[in-house]
Amino acid sequence: MGTENPGRPNFPMRPSFTPFASAPPTVRPFSPHGPATGPESSNFRPSPPARFSDPSVPSPPITSVPPSGVPYQRFPTPPFPSAAQAPPNRAPPVGQPPFQPPASQVSVPPPSFRPQTQALPVPMGSPPQNANFPPSSMNAPQPPTDSSLSGIRPNFQQPFPGYPSKQPAGSYGPPPSVAANLGYQSRDQMQHPGSAPPIGGVQRLTEDFSSLAVASIPGTNDPALDNRSLPRPLDGDVVPSSFLEMYPMNCDPRYLRLTTNAIPNSQSLVSRWHLPLGAVVCPLAEAPEGEEVPAINFSSTGIIRCRRCRTYVNPYVTFTDAGRKWRCNICSFLNDVPGEYFANLDATGRRIDLDQRPELIKGSVEFVAPTEYMVRPPMPPLYFFLIDVSISAVRSGMIESSLTQPQMMVVSDLDDIFVPLPDDLLVNLSESKNVVETFLDSLPSMFQDNVNVESAFGPALKAAFMVMSQLGGKLLIFQNSLPSLGVGRLKLRGDDLRVYGTDKEHILRLPEDPFYKQMAADLTKYQIGVNIYAFSDKYTDIASLGTLAKYTGGQVYYYPSFQSGIHGEKLSHELARDLTRETAWEAVMRIRCGKGIRFTSYHGNFMLRSTDLLALPAVDCDKAYAMQLSLEETLLTTQTVYFQVALLYTASCGERRIRVHTAAAPVVTDLGEMYRQADTGAIVSLFSRLAIEKTLTSKLEDARNSLQLRIVKALREYRNLYSVQHRLGARMIYPESLKFLCLYGLALFKSVPLKGGYADVQLDERCAAGFTMMALPVKKLLKLLYPSLIRIDEYLLKPSAQADGFKNIMKRLPLVAESLDSRGLYIYDDGFRFVIWFGRMVSPDIAKNLLGPDFAAELSRLDIIVGIQHIQDLLQMLAMINVALTEHDNEMSRRLMKILKKLRESDPSYYQLPYLVRQGEQPREGLLLLVNLIEDQMGGTTGYADWITQIQRQVQQN
Amino acid sequence: MAWDLIFWVLCFFINIALLASSFYQLLSLSDLEADHLNPFEATTRINSIVLPDFLLQAFLCLSFLLTWHWFMFLFTLPITAYHLMLYLNRKHLLDVTEIFRDLNTEKKYRFVKLAVYLLLFTVVLFRLVISASTLYTMKSMFIHIDFWGSTVGGICKLVIRIF
Repeated sequence: MGTENPGRPNFPMRPSFTPFASAPPTVRPFSPHGPATGPESSNFRPSPPARFSDPSVPSPPITSVPPSGVPYQRFPTPPFPSAAQAPPNRAPPVGQPPFQPPASQVSVPPPSFRPQTQALPVPMGSPPQNANFPPSSMNAPQPPTDSSLSGIRPNFQQPFPGYPSKQPAGSYGPPPSVAANLGYQSRDQMQHPGSAPPIGGVQRLTEDFSSLAVASIPGTNDPALDNRSLPRPLDGDVVPSSFLEMYPMNCDPRYLRLTTNAIPNSQSLVSRWHLPLGAVVCPLAEAPEGEEVPAINFSSTGIIRCRRCRTYVNPYVTFTDAGRKWRCNICSFLNDVPGEYFANLDATGRRIDLDQRPELIKGSVEFVAPTEYMVRPPMPPLYFFLIDVSISAVRSGMIESSLTQPQMMVVSDLDDIFVPLPDDLLVNLSESKNVVETFLDSLPSMFQDNVNVESAFGPALKAAFMVMSQLGGKLLIFQNSLPSLGVGRLKLRGDDLRVYGTDKEHILRLPEDPFYKQMAADLTKYQIGVNIYAFSDKYTDIASLGTLAKYTGGQVYYYPSFQSGIHGEKLSHELARDLTRETAWEAVMRIRCGKGIRFTSYHGNFMLRSTDLLALPAVDCDKAYAMQLSLEETLLTTQTVYFQVALLYTASCGERRIRVHTAAAPVVTDLGEMYRQADTGAIVSLFSRLAIEKTLTSKLEDARNSLQLRIVKALREYRNLYSVQHRLGARMIYPESLKFLCLYGLALFKSVPLKGGYADVQLDERCAAGFTMMALPVKKLLKLLYPSLIRIDEYLLKPSAQADGFKNIMKRLPLVAESLDSRGLYIYDDGFRFVIWFGRMVSPDIAKNLLGPDFAAELSRLDIIVGIQHIQDLLQMLAMINVALTEHDNEMSRRLMKILKKLRESDPSYYQLPYLVRQGEQPREGLLLLVNLIEDQMGGTTGYADWITQIQRQVQQN
Repeated sequence: MAWDLIFWVLCFFINIALLASSFYQLLSLSDLEADHLNPFEATTRINSIVLPDFLLQAFLCLSFLLTWHWFMFLFTLPITAYHLMLYLNRKHLLDVTEIFRDLNTEKKYRFVKLAVYLLLFTVVLFRLVISASTLYTMKSMFIHIDFWGSTVGGICKLVIRIF
């Protein structure tokens, strides 16, 4: 059973799970407990009676509900607790000891959860202990209780015997039979009996949550928090796997992740779950080799969908009536099975052709869509380049470097009146490759002598829009200066320091001219997706330009102070990625879910076409969308909730397809269970999007505060579940599933879109990072928030024979300055760039081999930068002083390159450019690396340990 | 007195226009919510009548002020002020891209407006009837009765007599 480790294992199997579940609830009692605290005896009594009376009569647990959950817990408690730690702890009152233990074991649910709790008591108590109890319950008040109490003590062990007997009775047998998809509730009922062998219960109890000793150990006033013991996500993003095992037919978590894999059944539960409740969807996530989504062509039958709610057929539908009907899992509607799709059912009610029907066994499938799903015939993929040729662009070399990919293209820097004819301007790449290449070659020379500093961005955009409106497609905008002519002309803003910290601050992060929003809407309407490539070293108003990408499902690439010599490589890789990754055109996405719940808000880069339909002119594997759900009914009666994501799109091959991801999640009545099944990655992803959106309507500080408040509230709620049974003291407790939540919260605070104030990040950079983070898939986001820091010098020095141990060296280190050893060589990788840090005492061999003989000169040259006052100037300087890291002809250098390549391959969506930094080389080291060691205290920001202490303090203030 | 009647008739029609516009906007929003209308069309429709709506309302408010109908003026003032605020903050037009996020607030705002206009409508109708009947009475009886004046005068005389 789950004896050893409560946290993770619980899910996988029904039976095991049960016990587990029960354990956690015990903690809960807490809330009821609070009020009752006064005399122990008093507490005691009430509970038993209430619970008892109910349960005793009806077998179903439910009955017990009406009374508060409280009584329950105590009741059962006696047996367990005593055994466990409880008694010793609570020296004083006799009554108490019994309390706690039972609670834990019973698992009970806090008052709110009726079903679960009740269920529990019944099985447990009634059979064996009836004798004792009945009196108490009947008598109701105190006298009985006392007696019961006293009795219990001596009996201490008695309870135990009772248990075993129960177990057989129940629990185990039935549950297994239940299909995997059954919900929690059913499980709950069953579980009680099994609720576990006593010992197991106890252990579980102790491990039920994780805790950190914050501050005062009794006796000492030393608030020392052991830095090493703090939880860190050094393994990257870990998807809770137990859940997938429980519902093997669910789609892979790379496509859909819920913030908690246990859906609350009532509004009151939702309101006590202070974290976001929702999902993060990445419909086109890249699948590893061999796990591609199967494509199915229903040419003859048409796509099988529920007639009422339009759900697509999926593994969770059930076939009845000898295979002639199927029941929709989302709305329970009984549909007819079309003749061509008919198959007989076998004895267990499964279709006999199941193995030939991927849509009935896999959570992710792709249907080939017939013409009903097309508004117009599929259009050829169109890439349109809009290039800024003003002087700054020419100077930076942007034009030369950016156009290494031959593409269909048009340059238009025309006045808005002129409407080019699409046919004349668009070319077919394969037919006229030569023309395009010639044009690209001549482009730089054409504008070589251009001294025009103005950019007529708005008119050019309009012209591009007119050319593209027939076909739709993807518009790539290369912009190097602030649009200054025609419509959509923008002003320099953000220089006024006085605005920061006031209520007008957020306006800087919003598009200045409504032209951009209107244009974005029009572009979406005509199925044009926009990607912005911004290069300027000066203010280009990314907030306005990025709006175009935001509402057309695109993204913003930002290369501050672009120099083709330095950034060219990054640009060409990222541009190549943008052009070659699998792209879905003219897409719309909808997520359906079961009755009683509804998705209410969506967060990411897209435009809503109707209340729940996301319009995505061009979407690819690097985009994720987050959504929050709410309960429409006060109480969910179903046991399982299903989610179905459907993305209708045109593949690059010209086929119209529907990609469908289906997932199921149990409905629970227990808050503890929700916390246990929480998915930190999805939560952090939603949090970051909410926070970034908040920065668009209020001050940065407000966005950070509201984020912190939610974390604190969630932890407080969780603590309250347990604080009665356990003497938590100053310990910080959190569910195992959320152990990294605080750290990621801190990382979010220090992330580019949210950190600091005016001086910390340039406005453009902040906005660009905001747009980027709004689209990042979970994994990528977590990496950005908590980058990896790897020590590589040992690997480089190893004799070549052992060089294969590549995995071994990928050991991530905590992001603290202490991790950096001055004899070492480290790579810091946040998914967007590498910082390679040379320790002061790093072996000269390494430096020489990696950087070439003149390494000393190169490294020391960087010392020159001094006396730069303004951080922005500094950043620009930094970008320029980038020592090129080229491969030298020696083993070490090759190995380093191999490492970098491997790291890049692990996530190709962005290309990391290496920056070299030497220890002690200020301010470069500080800006590139030290600021990003997020666990450290840096200039006014909080360190990890302090942050935990701070959160803990707030959690404890009620 | 004929001018009075003409004034109230004018107000009556303006009021009906305002009511219709509010109603139409609400209708478009609920159509949008029910997916009978796409956001592009809905916002175009609504945004095209927002400014006329504001102008008409401001005109009504101003005309109350100029004709010294203090009560009516104060009654319409809040909406005018709110409109002005929206306009100055450039928030008077619906934002296509974020319309679903703002849908509920926008609907609520228009519901309140509709309710106020309805109230205004009853008052205007009442005044219209009064002024029409006054005119009629005047004409038929050839007696010029200043209803308010005589009443107030009567009360004053009464008060003086008592003291």
